[in-house]
Amino acid sequence: MTVNANHVAGEPASVSMGFPVTVGWTHAAIAVFSVLRLNTPVNLTMHVEMHGPLLIDFRHHAFSWSTPLDQFPVDAVHTGLETEPTSADAPPFFELPGQDLDGLLWEMGINSFGGAAAYWLPKGERYKLTRWPNVTRHSHNLRQMKMLAVLGNTYASTSELATLAGVEEVEAQSLINALSLMRILSRSAEAPATAAAPETAAAKRKSLFARLRKRLGR
Amino acid sequence: MAEHVILFTGPMGAGKTTAIRSLSEIEVVSTEANNSERHIVDKATTTVALDYGEILIDGEEKVRLYGIPGQKRFDFMWAILKKRAKGMILLVNSDAPDPIGQMLEFIDDFRELYDRGGVVVGVSRADVIAGPTLGDFSEALERTNPDLVIPVFTVDPRDRDQMEDVLLVLIANIEMRAMFGMTTAAAL
Ligand SMILES: Nc1nc2c(ncn2[C@@H]2O[C@H](COP(=O)(O)OP(=O)(O)OP(=O)(O)O)[C@@H](O)[C@H]2O)c(=O)[nH]1
Ligand SMILES: [Mg+2]
Repeated sequence: MTVNANHVAGEPASVSMGFPVTVGWTHAAIAVFSVLRLNTPVNLTMHVEMHGPLLIDFRHHAFSWSTPLDQFPVDAVHTGLETEPTSADAPPFFELPGQDLDGLLWEMGINSFGGAAAYWLPKGERYKLTRWPNVTRHSHNLRQMKMLAVLGNTYASTSELATLAGVEEVEAQSLINALSLMRILSRSAEAPATAAAPETAAAKRKSLFARLRKRLGR
Repeated sequence: MAEHVILFTGPMGAGKTTAIRSLSEIEVVSTEANNSERHIVDKATTTVALDYGEILIDGEEKVRLYGIPGQKRFDFMWAILKKRAKGMILLVNSDAPDPIGQMLEFIDDFRELYDRGGVVVGVSRADVIAGPTLGDFSEALERTNPDLVIPVFTVDPRDRDQMEDVLLVLIANIEMRAMFGMTTAAAL
C-alpha cells in the first residue's frame, strides 16, 4: 500500500480509504498510524498553517519542527501531507537526533478524534500498558498520570478506565488513542482487576497521591 | 504523625543527592566527602553515609526522603529502611559504563520492594550522552518480572517539576496496586 498526499490533504479524505472527515490532527494521526503499520521506510512531511513544515523520519523514530511541543497548536490547520519512500541505507531525512517521535505521537493522539475512539480501535476492547510513556517529557496532567497507573497494572476498557481513575470517558479515550498511536498498549479480553473499594470520599481522604499533589500545588 | 519513607538509590553520580535537594522543603542533611574514586566517577564529592530530606504535607503527615550512597548500600541502616519504605526511586545515569546492568543490580538488592511494584526508574544525564533507550531499560526489567510494568522515565534530578512527577507517579502506582489488592503496604 502506498500512502500519498491525497489521502490526508486538507480536503475531505478519499472515501475509498475510509478515513473519517474531521478537522485538526485527526488526519495526521490516521496518516501516521498507516505509515507505522506499513513498516517500510518512509519519510513524511506535514504542512501546518502558520507552524512551518513538520518532518518525520520513521526509520529513526524522530521528527523535526520549528514549533516546540509545549506550544502544540491544538487547532492547527493542515494544508497537506506528503510521504516519500526511503531506504534503509539512505541518509536521514534531517540532521539527527531531531526530537523523539513519541512526544509528537502523544500530542497528536491526545488531540485527535475529538474524544471519540480512534478508528482503528474496536469497541469494548481492554488495554494495558506494555511500557510507560516518558511522562517527564510529555505535557500531562495528573488525571492522565492516574489513568496510566491503572493501565500499568490491569487491563481496562475505556469506560472501565474512566471509572477506575475517576475521569470523564472522553479523557480516557483520548489517552487510549495516544497510547495506541505510540504502540505501547497490549489488548486482551481479560476482565480488569476489581478495585477493593469504590472511590468514596473516605478513600480519597486516604490517598497520599491526592494530598501530596495538593501540597505541591499541582 | 503519619510518615512515608521513600528511598533514592542508584550508582555513584546518578543524581540522588541532587534529586533530594530538588524535592526537599527542609535544608537537606547531606554527608558529602571528597571522592576517592575519581577514576571511576569524575566528581569532586560523593555521599558517604546518607542524604535526608522531607516534604511536610499538613503538619500531620510527612514524606521522608532518604538517599542511599552509591557505594554503601549494604549498611545495616538500609536493611531497616528497606523494610519500612513505601517506595523507591532508582536513578541510573545514562553515562554510566553499563546503565542497564547497574539498574539490574539495584533491583536485585531491593527485590522485595520491586516485586511489590514499589519502584520507579529515572534515567538521568540523558542530556549528557544518548545511552540505551527507555525501551531497552523496560525490556531488561520485563525479563526480571514479566508481570510488572515498571515506570521508566528520563529525568533531570536538577529539575524540581520532573522530580515531582516521578514521585507522584511512584505514589499513584503504589496506591493503584493497593486499590486492586495487588500489594501489601509496607509496615510502618
Ligand atoms: N547534565 C546533567 N547533570 C546531572 C543530571 N543529574 C545529575 N547531574 C549532575 O551530576 C552530578 C552528580 O550528582 P549527585 O547528586 O552528586 O549524584 P549522587 O547520586 O548523589 O552520587 P553519589 O552520592 O556519589 O552516589 C551533579 O553535579 C549533578 O548536578 C542530569 O540529568 N544532567
Ligand atoms: Mg550523593
